[in-house]
Amino acid sequence: MSKHLALRSGNPALQASTFRDHLSSATEGRMTLSGTVNKTAFALVLVIISAGYSWGNPIMHALAMPSALIGFVLALVTIFKPTISHITVPAYAIAQGVFLGVISMIFDAQYPGIVVQAVFLTFGTLGALLLAYMSGLIKATENFKLGVVAATGGIAILYLINFVMGFFGSEIGIISGNSNMGILFSFGVVVIAALNLVLDFDFIEEGAEMGAPKYMEWYGAFGLLVTLIWLYLEILRLLAKLSSRR
Amino acid sequence: MENPAIILWIPIVIITVMSIMKLLNKGGPNGKPWIRIEKVEDNE
Repeated sequence: MSKHLALRSGNPALQASTFRDHLSSATEGRMTLSGTVNKTAFALVLVIISAGYSWGNPIMHALAMPSALIGFVLALVTIFKPTISHITVPAYAIAQGVFLGVISMIFDAQYPGIVVQAVFLTFGTLGALLLAYMSGLIKATENFKLGVVAATGGIAILYLINFVMGFFGSEIGIISGNSNMGILFSFGVVVIAALNLVLDFDFIEEGAEMGAPKYMEWYGAFGLLVTLIWLYLEILRLLAKLSSRR
Repeated sequence: MENPAIILWIPIVIITVMSIMKLLNKGGPNGKPWIRIEKVEDNE
């Protein structure tokens, strides 16, 4: 019997029904952990290459917002049509890479060196939590999943309210402010984003155990990529807040 | 604060060390030991 009693993730791409909906349609190979790891690595390389290219080419800066929008559309397509995720996930990685490259360049111009620190911290967090998951130090129990999902939902609602308030020239101070509360909030968001990685590991492990179809390797890689990009952006924001107080 | 990133490395290092210690202690009183030394009989 599966040790994953019920799939639950804060990541909207990784939901309880995702594997069940696609189990019966499996005709070719099965999802494996190593296959998912390889596809995640490939997608990350695509993100890094496109981010590096957009950073170094001023002509790409105008494409930051369109690429973020394209990335969002590709994410929706991937969620609703995982069978074509071998096409949409690499395209999503490239689009998000362009956006991240420009955003990173803007942050680095303001606070030199924080991008490198944010990249190392993101991969450091990934490595530490992978080790914690493998060792059993952090287990994706039902209560853990419930807590992370609730916290992620709360953050999403807060960001949505802040987005809407932006149209009226207002904002929630703690999201972008560098006060003690603002830094504490950002640190909390980084922790929640990092804990979502544990849910992603659990989701991928579950998929491999259940014998999900091969294309779900791309889908698992996509889930991990979404969380990693979110984590990187939140770390970047937190470092910028801390640097602005120097 | 000279380098704010250092603070963020602290929890990462703590989690890593705790995970490694947990992996090493998995073969404790309740688990399977990493190394098991058995007595070799004369006729083996």
